[in-house]
Amino acid sequence: MGQAFRKLFDAFFGNTEMRFMKLVGFNVEKVQYKNVIFTVWDVGGQEKLRPLWRHYFNNTDGLIYVVDSLDRERIGKARQEFQAIINDPFMLNSVILVFANKQDLKGAMTPLEVCEGLGLFELKNRKWHIQGTCALKGDGLYEGLDWLSSTLKEVRAAGYSSVGTSSF
Amino acid sequence: MAQPLIKKDDDRDDEAEYSPFLGIEKGAVLQEARVFNDPQLDPRRCSQVITKLLYLLNQGETFTKIEATEVFFAVTKLFQSKDTGLRRMVYLMIKELSPSADEVIIVTSSLMKDMNSKTDMYRANAIRVLCRITDGTLLTQIERYLKQAIVDKNPVVASAALVSGIHLLQTNPEIVKRWSNEVQEAVQSRAALVQFHALALLHQIRQNDRLAVSKLVSNLTRGTVRSPLAQCLLIRYISQVIRESGSTQTGDRPFYDYLEGCLRHKAEMVIFEAARAITELSGVTSRELTPAITVLQLFLSSSKPVLRFAAVRTLNKVAMTHPMAVTNCNIDMESLISDQNRSIATLAITTLLKTGNESSVDRLMKQITNFMSDIADEFKIVVVEAIRSLCLKFPLKYRSLMNFLSNILREEGGFEYKKAIVDSIVILIRDIPDAKESGLLHLCEFIEDCEFTYLSTQILHFLGVEGPKTSDPSKYIRYIYNRVILENATVRASAVSTLAKFGAMVDSLKPRIFTLLRRCLFDSDDEVRDRATLYLEMLGGDGEIVETQKDVKEFLFGSLDVPLSNLETSLKNYEPSEEPFDINSVPKEVKSQPLAEKKAPNKKPTGLGAPATEPSSGIDAYEKLLSSIPEFSSFGKLFKSSAPVELTEAETEYAVNVVKHIFDGHVVFQYNCTNTIPEQLLENVTVIVDPSEAEEFAEVASRPLRSLPYDSPGQTFVAFQKPEGVPAVGKFSNILRFIVKEVDPSTGEAEEDGVEDEYQLEDLEIVAADYMLKVGVSNFRNAWETMGPDFEKVDEYGLGPRESLVEAVNAVINLLGMQPCEGTEVVPSNSRSHTCLLSGVFIGNVKVLVRLQFGLDSNREVAMKLAVRSADEAVSDTIHEIVASG
Ligand SMILES: Nc1nc2c(ncn2[C@@H]2O[C@H](COP(=O)(O)OP(=O)(O)OP(=O)(O)O)[C@@H](O)[C@H]2O)c(=O)[nH]1
Ligand SMILES: [Mg+2]
Repeated sequence: MGQAFRKLFDAFFGNTEMRFMKLVGFNVEKVQYKNVIFTVWDVGGQEKLRPLWRHYFNNTDGLIYVVDSLDRERIGKARQEFQAIINDPFMLNSVILVFANKQDLKGAMTPLEVCEGLGLFELKNRKWHIQGTCALKGDGLYEGLDWLSSTLKEVRAAGYSSVGTSSF
Repeated sequence: MAQPLIKKDDDRDDEAEYSPFLGIEKGAVLQEARVFNDPQLDPRRCSQVITKLLYLLNQGETFTKIEATEVFFAVTKLFQSKDTGLRRMVYLMIKELSPSADEVIIVTSSLMKDMNSKTDMYRANAIRVLCRITDGTLLTQIERYLKQAIVDKNPVVASAALVSGIHLLQTNPEIVKRWSNEVQEAVQSRAALVQFHALALLHQIRQNDRLAVSKLVSNLTRGTVRSPLAQCLLIRYISQVIRESGSTQTGDRPFYDYLEGCLRHKAEMVIFEAARAITELSGVTSRELTPAITVLQLFLSSSKPVLRFAAVRTLNKVAMTHPMAVTNCNIDMESLISDQNRSIATLAITTLLKTGNESSVDRLMKQITNFMSDIADEFKIVVVEAIRSLCLKFPLKYRSLMNFLSNILREEGGFEYKKAIVDSIVILIRDIPDAKESGLLHLCEFIEDCEFTYLSTQILHFLGVEGPKTSDPSKYIRYIYNRVILENATVRASAVSTLAKFGAMVDSLKPRIFTLLRRCLFDSDDEVRDRATLYLEMLGGDGEIVETQKDVKEFLFGSLDVPLSNLETSLKNYEPSEEPFDINSVPKEVKSQPLAEKKAPNKKPTGLGAPATEPSSGIDAYEKLLSSIPEFSSFGKLFKSSAPVELTEAETEYAVNVVKHIFDGHVVFQYNCTNTIPEQLLENVTVIVDPSEAEEFAEVASRPLRSLPYDSPGQTFVAFQKPEGVPAVGKFSNILRFIVKEVDPSTGEAEEDGVEDEYQLEDLEIVAADYMLKVGVSNFRNAWETMGPDFEKVDEYGLGPRESLVEAVNAVINLLGMQPCEGTEVVPSNSRSHTCLLSGVFIGNVKVLVRLQFGLDSNREVAMKLAVRSADEAVSDTIHEIVASG
């Protein structure tokens, strides 16, 4: 893996040292991809952290929502939290990228199933995209980011964007 | 220490002129803090804003919960910046804001990341912050990193971890104790700071294990300690070990040799610490003392003020127990009297006063006189106290010492200082008979121009006791009578009492005294006139000159034999009537509960001495009180007075409870108020009552409380009219309104001008139970039969699901406010049905009896049958209404 890739990967999925720990709080990194500098806020998904997410909504251009596609039982809960985030007044203008993660595992929901689970099809006037990924190998990561950077470029000409991630 | 203090003040004045923080204001800074949210951060700007926020917090400014939360989360966004300076400010800010546990967790992983950073500064500071915000669970997770940090090769990081350990030991001792090995390693560190902190932590870890401390100390005295600070600690620990070993034998005192060795250390702080430790050894011998005194003597002539101060202060203490050991230093001490630093000079003088002999007293007094005007009051007091003890030591020298005291009494000075002088003169008069006459005259002269009421009255009292016993009592009369002409009412009243004492004791003065007392009968103040009348009566001022009776003397000079505060309360509660106030009714036991305890819920101040547990005697007192107030005298007979209901929480500035007095067509709220702030006097205290949720009530009268001094309860009243005989209910909101005046704690005098202020109280309710008196009957069945079924009303009610029958029974009893009879309020456990008998008297003096039958069904639903008998059909219906709407 090259330097740039390593950094990207860490930013989105936590660096190696911390990866085995639950993220208590957030982790913030700046990464550059295709001339877009992303300030990536990775926010921990534990229950007690969720009420605090909203403090980071302001000025967010894009949301990356990482779903554990294997966890069919909790997709309803994932939907609830997802809808709460995107309908927050501060998030109404952000574009939405959903990573349907853990596609390498047998029995995982397909991106389409995740799409239905989260209620993406019902969204009106929102730019969104879903991408199947395997975080362990990095599969799907680039495809997702390609969509994100080109969409954000469309949305506004400015060079700086910040992106929040949240995972399930 | 006066000097540096004064200097500091000067410095601050200068600073204020150049302060970059001048005019910083919270609202504006909070606005500025929005820059933290900018997508493109300006680290310099952000650092400046944080500096301002920190400045505000340090000035004691507080943020509301919302403000603090907003600033905190905005600050966390600065973690995206890689600017090290800014990051440092972020750490500080998180520590200062100390957000609540559920919010602060958001920075945990960022701090943990920094704790493992390659940048030393990040590591050190992240450790400090993490330890500040951590709880037990998180601590176990990061423990591994902290242990590593303790032995980090960067001293700043190691110190941060060690100091954090010291803090954490308070909250999580079991965890910190596991770090002993690492801490022990750090004690050996070559870095002075690390060694110092490590030793402090290691000692704290072991402090409860005497043997371990002793072992630690022995080990260290054998090795080398690099850090002077650590060595100072070591010396303190050694002192502790010596103290606890209880060995006072000379020769084999453990560690003495080590302490003596420290006197030759190159660091002054170590030398001083060791010298002081030696002087404080219990039962120290002069041989042990000598080397310590020698080094302290050298410090006396050091060029560093701090060393001179440290040495003279220590020697001053030694002089109390070993004056001879300090005499060697007298020459150096004398030169310190002219030291620029007045703290040093004062200590030098008082040391000399302690060690000096009779022949040096006059010389010293001269030197002191010269420098008294240069020092602050607090040091003057030290000098005065030293002179007082010197006087008692050398009674023959009283003349020059008394002279000195009377001279300084004439000069400018604050209350405490003047009080110290007066106290000293009084003690001299008491203990040295020869000093009496001149001392009394000095005091007389002082009260001719004394601005402190307290001191004037004290001196007048003392004069009354001592003056008549002197060879020529008549010469004091002029001074005393001048007070009657010139002073405020308090002093005038004291002067009247003193005159009376002279009259009682000195027959030859009686005619003059009578004339003077008669003049006082025209004084503008009640108290002065009352006293004059009383004394004239007692001393027989209207008849011939006779010898004063024994009981009169006893009254004038004897003690009252009751605690003054008790007397005060009793007098306040006394209502003017035919019956004279009886001093034998004043309780003699001293109530010394602190204020906080008095407010404890089980000891509610019931006001007016009406104990809540004895309503019968309570209502008498209330009735008397209320009927004495003209506005309420037409309300008729008092039906019921409630127990006091607290309207404030415990520990608040003003403690207020209310007693609800129910009359047929009126209710009166009696607010018992206590002011718990010594620095405040409240005046014109009223309660503004808003009855908007009590439609049937209309305010008719309000009686303000004229003055509410600190810790002396008082009452204010508000009266409402309500429909006659109707148990009207409602809710009232209350605001305490008053004029607050600042009180000078040293003199107890209030400022002229006050400001109006308000204080929100809890709401209060009039409920149906307020119209019911708890009056029991001895035989319920008989009463029930006698009452007959004429106005019996029976109905059934569903009380819904309940935890148990007990709960339902209590709820209904409380709702009605009636007296349970024959123990039927007790529900046997697990019973599924129960009968409860109640009796009471409803407003309008209508007797009421109630029979309640409860049943519990399988769904834990409670059903109740209510049977009421009373002498009035309307009342029987009312009882049902109360239950139906409860
Ligand atoms: N098989 C497989 N495992 C994955 C994949 N992505 C993540 N995991 C595993 O899932 C676990 C949790 O991953 P994290 O990235 O820590 O999860 P998170 O949602 O960020 O958790 P928080 O930071 O606490 O919110 C780890 O053990 C990962 O190895 C994937 O694509 N495939
Ligand atoms: Mg994570």
